[in-house]
Amino acid sequence: MFETLLPFFQAMLDQTGLVHFTFGNFVMCVLGCVMIYLAITKHFEPLLLIGIGFSCIVANIPGPPDVPGGPAVSALLYVVKEGGLFHFAFEGVGKLIIPPLIFLGVGAMTDFGPMIANPKLVLLGAGAHLGIFVALIFAKMLGFTMNEAGAIGIIGGADGPMAIFVTMKLAPHLLGPISVAAYSYMALMPLIQPPIMRLLTTKEERQIGMAQSRKVSKLEKIAFPIVIAIVVNLFFPPVAPLITMLMLGNLFKECGVVDRLAKTAAGGLINVIIMILTVAIGSTMAADKFLTVQTIQIVVLGLVAFAFGTASGVVTAKIMNLFLKTKINPLIGSAGIASVPIAARVSHIVAEQENPNNLLIYHAMGPNLAGVFGTAISGGILLALLGAA
Amino acid sequence: MNAIIPDTLAGALILSIIDFFLSFVIIAGIGVVLAFFPLLNRFASAEDKHGHKHSHGKKHVHGHGHSALPAAASVTPAGNAADQHVAAISAAVAVVVGPHKIVQIERAN
Repeated sequence: MFETLLPFFQAMLDQTGLVHFTFGNFVMCVLGCVMIYLAITKHFEPLLLIGIGFSCIVANIPGPPDVPGGPAVSALLYVVKEGGLFHFAFEGVGKLIIPPLIFLGVGAMTDFGPMIANPKLVLLGAGAHLGIFVALIFAKMLGFTMNEAGAIGIIGGADGPMAIFVTMKLAPHLLGPISVAAYSYMALMPLIQPPIMRLLTTKEERQIGMAQSRKVSKLEKIAFPIVIAIVVNLFFPPVAPLITMLMLGNLFKECGVVDRLAKTAAGGLINVIIMILTVAIGSTMAADKFLTVQTIQIVVLGLVAFAFGTASGVVTAKIMNLFLKTKINPLIGSAGIASVPIAARVSHIVAEQENPNNLLIYHAMGPNLAGVFGTAISGGILLALLGAA
Repeated sequence: MNAIIPDTLAGALILSIIDFFLSFVIIAGIGVVLAFFPLLNRFASAEDKHGHKHSHGKKHVHGHGHSALPAAASVTPAGNAADQHVAAISAAVAVVVGPHKIVQIERAN
């Protein structure tokens, strides 16, 4: 009797994921849980980490093989493979539809007033991008090709959509680890940046107060997206799709006559895109593809890029102070790394810890927004010089 | 793809140096463009003055330059509007729509 039932139970067991579950899957499930934990308890970019963490867990729960004797297939892959629910999410990322749409929403949410009000601070948007090139050089030393190294370097721009965009042009096979590293480090910036910022500044420097910026008129705010769109399309065609959409979203917001469009771009549309994007990224985190030496190298290089970017931003601010009559607080330098508004918030919090009356958020938003353009410019030059434009 | 930079460590160094400094130059260029933005306000205020002169010129013909502004009947509070808020609301309305306007305050249905 038992001998008759045994093959039957064995066949049933083979149809579940239990027998295919590996230690790697377990590690990735724990990683997914850590992401969700950080999002819920520490509020580290919950909009990103909840979706990525959840789909990372599900992507690592193997189902039965597609063909008898073949490799185990995660149930999540059924929704991302052709014809599946999230197939078009994947296609959207792969065919570069999603990143411009994210920029449209970001533009509709962003007030570029702080950047327009204090033009000299835009230099910090370039200064904080040394990390891109440090990571690029280290990646080349580790044996990555130039295109792969360029895609890895752009993690240091701390701009998720731009990282996806450049990676898809230079090294599409690295999309999974690069997007995961970029978005994870953006979420972990409140942990990564403050020690570096404190290390490179004195207590007196961290307490420097900054005068209130001038008021930016509505006319300037309307002119800004139009002027920048012209400049970027003229000089940086490789990254024009992203910046053009960013500026279109911002024009929706600032012109004041298409509130419905601005609200949709900044609300419903970007929320849908975030859901799609996070599932698409998380579903690339299957253990067999993610737990490789190459991925670990990329994750470490991403951390190097963020650390050097933060440091170079602070040092650039300190160099600027040598020439400025009215000193700026060097803590806002680290905000030039982009990742709007996380990096600006970090600058504000670190300054507030030194002096509760020192409110830097508005000043830090200037270099933070300039950082978006800094990443776009660096990415554009990278694509042009590597022949991927 | 026609890569301009060789796929070597030296190539990576050259690429990084060119890209980093070019980024600085271009961002500085954007900064210079932004520094000229306050000039837009001068043009706008000059345009405003011109517009005002124009509307004052027409005043004698049409009665008032801002004829589309609403005018209503009374500053007496209607319905449940608190008496102590009426002065503040009237002042705010006066600032927005200009003096010599009569506004009726009542509960919205």
